[in-house]
Amino acid sequence: MKNFKLIWLLGLAITLALIIVPIVIFTSNGEKQTSNNPWDNVPVHVPHTDHTDIIEGPFETGADVTKACLECHEDAAFQVMQTSHWTWESQPVDVPWRDGPVTIGKKNQINNFCIGTQGNQQKCMTCHIGYGWEDENYDFADPSNVDCLACHADMNLYAKADYGYPALGVDLLAAAQSVRNPGRDNCGACHFDGGGGNGVKHGELDEHLYYPDGNLDVHMGALDFLCTDCHQTQEHDILGKLVADNYQIPADDQVQCTNCHDSQLHADERINAHIQTVACQTCHIPTIGVMDPTKVYWDWSTAGLGDQPDDHLTYLKIKGSFVYEQNFTPAYTWFNGDLSYRYILGDTIDPSQPTVLDQPAGDIQDSNALIFPFKIHIAKQPYDTVNNLLLQPLTAREDGFWTTFDWASALQLGADISGLNYSGEYGFAETWMYWPVTHTVRPAADALTCDNCHGPDGRMDWQALGYYGDPIDWGGRFRSNSYQP
Amino acid sequence: MPAKLNIRPLVSRRIIFIALALILLFTAFTATQQIAQAKRSVSANPELSPIHPNFPMLDENGVNVLESGGAVSTIQTCGACHDAEFITEHSFHASVGLNDFTAAGQTSSGRAWDTSPGLFGKWNPIAYRYLSPVGDERIDLTTPMWLETFGARHVGGGPAVYARNGELLTSLKVDANNPETAAIDPQTGELIAWDWNESGVVEMNCFLCHTANPNADTRATAIHEGNFRWANTATLVGSGIVEQSGEDFVWNAEAFNAEGELSADFAIIQDPTNENCGLCHGLVHDNVEDPLTLIGCTPDRWSTITTGQIISPQKLADSGLNLANKESLNRPWDIHAERLLNCTDCHYSLNNPLYFQESASTQPEHLLFDPRRLEIGAYLEKPLHQFARGDSAQGTIDPQLKDTMRSCDSCHSVENTHDWLPYKDRHMSAISCESCHIPELYSSSNMQHDWTVVQVDGNPVKVCRGVEGDSDTMRSLIVGYEPVLLPRTDVDGHISLAPYNMISTWFWVYGDPPRPVIQSDLEAAYLEDGEYHPGVMLRFDSNNDGQIDSAELVIDTPEKEQFIRDRLTGLGLGNPRIVAEIQPYSISHDVAAGDWALSDCSACHGAESRITQPIQLAAYLPGGVLPEFVIDTNTMLSGEITTHEDGSLYYQPQTSESNLYVLGHNSVGWVDLAGSLIFIGVLLGIVAHGGLRFYASLRHPHMAKTEKIYMYGVYERLWHWLQTFTIVLLLFTGLVIHKPDTFGIFAFRGVVLVHNVLAAILVTNAALSLFYHLASGEIRQYLPRPSGFFDQAITQTKFYMQGIFQGAEHPFEKTTRKKLNPLQQVTYFGILNVLLPLQIITGALMWGAQRWPNLAERLGGLLFLGPFHSLIAWLFAAFIVMHVYLTTTGHTPMAGIKAMIMGWDDVEVHTPSEEES
Repeated sequence: MKNFKLIWLLGLAITLALIIVPIVIFTSNGEKQTSNNPWDNVPVHVPHTDHTDIIEGPFETGADVTKACLECHEDAAFQVMQTSHWTWESQPVDVPWRDGPVTIGKKNQINNFCIGTQGNQQKCMTCHIGYGWEDENYDFADPSNVDCLACHADMNLYAKADYGYPALGVDLLAAAQSVRNPGRDNCGACHFDGGGGNGVKHGELDEHLYYPDGNLDVHMGALDFLCTDCHQTQEHDILGKLVADNYQIPADDQVQCTNCHDSQLHADERINAHIQTVACQTCHIPTIGVMDPTKVYWDWSTAGLGDQPDDHLTYLKIKGSFVYEQNFTPAYTWFNGDLSYRYILGDTIDPSQPTVLDQPAGDIQDSNALIFPFKIHIAKQPYDTVNNLLLQPLTAREDGFWTTFDWASALQLGADISGLNYSGEYGFAETWMYWPVTHTVRPAADALTCDNCHGPDGRMDWQALGYYGDPIDWGGRFRSNSYQP
Repeated sequence: MPAKLNIRPLVSRRIIFIALALILLFTAFTATQQIAQAKRSVSANPELSPIHPNFPMLDENGVNVLESGGAVSTIQTCGACHDAEFITEHSFHASVGLNDFTAAGQTSSGRAWDTSPGLFGKWNPIAYRYLSPVGDERIDLTTPMWLETFGARHVGGGPAVYARNGELLTSLKVDANNPETAAIDPQTGELIAWDWNESGVVEMNCFLCHTANPNADTRATAIHEGNFRWANTATLVGSGIVEQSGEDFVWNAEAFNAEGELSADFAIIQDPTNENCGLCHGLVHDNVEDPLTLIGCTPDRWSTITTGQIISPQKLADSGLNLANKESLNRPWDIHAERLLNCTDCHYSLNNPLYFQESASTQPEHLLFDPRRLEIGAYLEKPLHQFARGDSAQGTIDPQLKDTMRSCDSCHSVENTHDWLPYKDRHMSAISCESCHIPELYSSSNMQHDWTVVQVDGNPVKVCRGVEGDSDTMRSLIVGYEPVLLPRTDVDGHISLAPYNMISTWFWVYGDPPRPVIQSDLEAAYLEDGEYHPGVMLRFDSNNDGQIDSAELVIDTPEKEQFIRDRLTGLGLGNPRIVAEIQPYSISHDVAAGDWALSDCSACHGAESRITQPIQLAAYLPGGVLPEFVIDTNTMLSGEITTHEDGSLYYQPQTSESNLYVLGHNSVGWVDLAGSLIFIGVLLGIVAHGGLRFYASLRHPHMAKTEKIYMYGVYERLWHWLQTFTIVLLLFTGLVIHKPDTFGIFAFRGVVLVHNVLAAILVTNAALSLFYHLASGEIRQYLPRPSGFFDQAITQTKFYMQGIFQGAEHPFEKTTRKKLNPLQQVTYFGILNVLLPLQIITGALMWGAQRWPNLAERLGGLLFLGPFHSLIAWLFAAFIVMHVYLTTTGHTPMAGIKAMIMGWDDVEVHTPSEEES
């Protein structure tokens, strides 16, 4: 009898297996585990230690606060001092058009907005991560000059002013007690207002990103990201660098969409095929200057004339004439992440042509280059008509242009500080700057579709990009029967 | 005509043409190269043909218009290189039915007043006006009037140039009594002569389709005013080539070069774009960045009026429409437009060497692709202007071109994309791609036209679908609509469901053979000096506010109907009466990509099925008249027309007409009724029998002597319980499939899968056990021995009817040799040899409707197999209940079940009786 029971149970087990196994096999077919979960790379926000009871004042200066910080966070200032937030220049690099290595950065190079920092520290250093960078004799080795509060204080309690000193009236104790992980307000205070005001410099960074709508920035809006969720930081070294202030940047040092997202994640094969030619940003950031207008043209030559009333969006006597644009299509060009040229102070220019201060590297033949969106900022800025080099005026000091409205002296003073070989004759030359567009990623639903680029009304200038015509007709650059050069 | 051509000039002309083309190609190529170097040049426009040479504009006499100042003749101008005669002769767009013109009532539409299958002679109740058949006393439209009325949607040529007998209209004798050379004087209402030589004719208008921004409005005005000669010239107004000053058109010499040719900047000739086609065919909005706007139910142009189809790459959410749930509608109007396909990519010229591909049916089997093409020069000289078309419902138009177009599966691979869909082939054969991929039209469309009444502006009362609120204003909300699925017969006779809109029209006809009451008579009946007639006002102005708004303008009482009938009779119309018809319009554009397509099983497989979803036909019935379907469609319209309580009218499709049996949706009433009655009957029977037995057992305890016998072997038990398990689950899953709505927690798809797997197990198990029974000879247990079978059966029946209640002994001894009594034998014989095989076969065929559709079809198709399978399932269910009950009739109620589990049975020890000797 015992045996029968066992056999019977065995039979039942086999029978059940006979039924369950095929069902399991059939039903489990379609479900593939998604291997690439984008959230895997997003840091978890851990609560920051409340410093209210830890920090005791009183503090006379910002440096006092830093010293207090360093009592516990011994290495912090030294870590910060390694970064370009502190040095405002890159590591020395060799560039083909110069003999020795050069450094590139706000410290010693110019752009086509407020042009250069040298001599203008009073205003420029408001955004330096240290205290008291007043002139070229600044002590970059003194850790107590590092401004911890700029990134860690609650920005309702802290602000920076001339030469990077704390603004008048700031309660340093309260600010110091408020420290926590950097929030959007810390980064935004400088980066949203780059170029001297809200949204002026970057087409996709402005004060709307403090509390963005989900349709403006899917990460910061809908998913409540902080800047540091993508710009991840190790030992105060923040991931991501602005190409305009560098020459070449290793891909590892950049924030890439693919740090979190699978590069082949589109359901549509055709869209995935675009990945090897089109940057994510190109489709997912269809327009820039969405909420606030951004500056696209700056003519310094009219500055000082004062022949028209001051208006933030069109003309200021101290700065000249501007054009702002809102919610517009970026410019597209090939970009492999590096520059092929960065104007270095002292480089000669051809004043009959626009000078591109930062030329994105890459072309249709460069398989690492992608079609990438840029904001192009065009300016007319002072140059030496004899030596054909761009000049760096003194503006912010009391003897600078913003006070005297005298180009001749401002340029001469600027040249004296920067050491430029200035002939004394000046004019205004057209310059271009490319500003990569990479923030304000919209929800997938708002991404560009075929028609936005292809077809008769498309936004791409295919011939300028090096194609014979629309690649929907002519084939892409990787197609085996492609007609591309 | 080609026969008349001399071969030599043709050849030389061709060589010159090719040489010219090559030179131009080369110049264009170098030019493109140079442009490529230039910084930010004008963006490349692939529609433009830089290859087209400069050409002089010639008038009808072949004289340069700069010299003559005359109207351009497209035939002279374009015909200088292209074979204009060939093009006009091979274009339904031009002939619009003229070539098939017949006497009234002879066309496939069956309408007594239709004279052709095209715009020239086929009545369209939406437009209402019609070309009056020859001999009609009351004339609506003569040929010149037809052209004035419909010419804006006609490309020219055909009836705008030729008379019905093939002569040129200009060569006809001017005669006020010939409807081809006469028009009604709007002042007197009398026919007056029309001189075609004076008005000119409308030649086939090349510019309308082959220039980028043809001026359709100015052209339409010229045609409407009878200024036919200048219509084609008017198309160019605004291009800089010709300007309009007052009534006249003046050629702009600046647009021409020294040789009198149109200079390169102006001679821009292109392939037709979507916008060109959209001028007549439907709303096209090609700009993806500029929001599309459309207010309420004022859709533009033909296909959009009739179906709501809009051709645009724009996402619905980005449009300017007041569209319900717009925010979430992140799909373009038309995925093909978004993917940059042009109308002409599918509706191509039939001899275009780029597109032409021989259909699989005529192509030899050994060839996948035939590279022999018409030479490009020959094509450019003689491009067929017959365009590939599909299978539309308004199918009489251009019937010989039906289904010349590529279909969805010419470009799309179903194999690689529809793996998720079970029974792929079956689904693909039963429903067209459009049925799932055009799930909804996101715009308004016409639904009902009531021409039994007329508004002061001459329009009928119109009711739209897909729009809520005040339908023609900004305040209206576009909600869209789901098209109705109708069985459509392809050219090869295959029937599948496809989406349609339906438009119903009510109108007066008079006389015999009937004619629609012509619009001027209708207006005469209702209006007087541009106002409603006092009698009309008295009867129709129900709120007495001195106005008749469109809600009041309805014939809803016999009195109103009689009044209008009397008014019409008073005009001299015999026997005026209201009739109504329904025209289905097929929908094949506005296709959605997979994620917007219908892909939920329950959308169709449920009580509320998309397959039989009704569509509203009308909001009310003017004059109480029920509409009839037009007869010349490729759909079968045998569904039901139902009237709702609020007076609205609906069309309810039936699945049987399309030979469909949709599992989970369809059921045959009597099968379920009979099946459930049998099941309940058996249940009641055993309750009664069991109750009696229980009662009897108290009075007559049955105490038979028993002995233990090893009755059922391991395999027998295994086989039995596996079969039990599968049959019970099959019945349950079958029930879920049959009535998915009752068991909503189960996913239809999963249940079907489980059902199939279980069926496979059942079949395997049954086959193995059959082998076992045959091989072991145990099969004999099931075979009733013929001799004395009936006596034995009666004895057993008697036992169940009487003996069992009296505690009598079982009449037959249960032994390992003879486990079944005679009744069991016959029951099991029936179950295992009749019901089970039938169930297996019907089930396999239903499953095989995918694999062997022909076999399943020959054996009745799903329409028969489905209900039959259900019926047998009911019988199985009833049997199981009976079977389980009868196992309790052993010496103790649980004895039989225990034995089937353990193998050992307590068997009554019988005193041998004579039956078993």
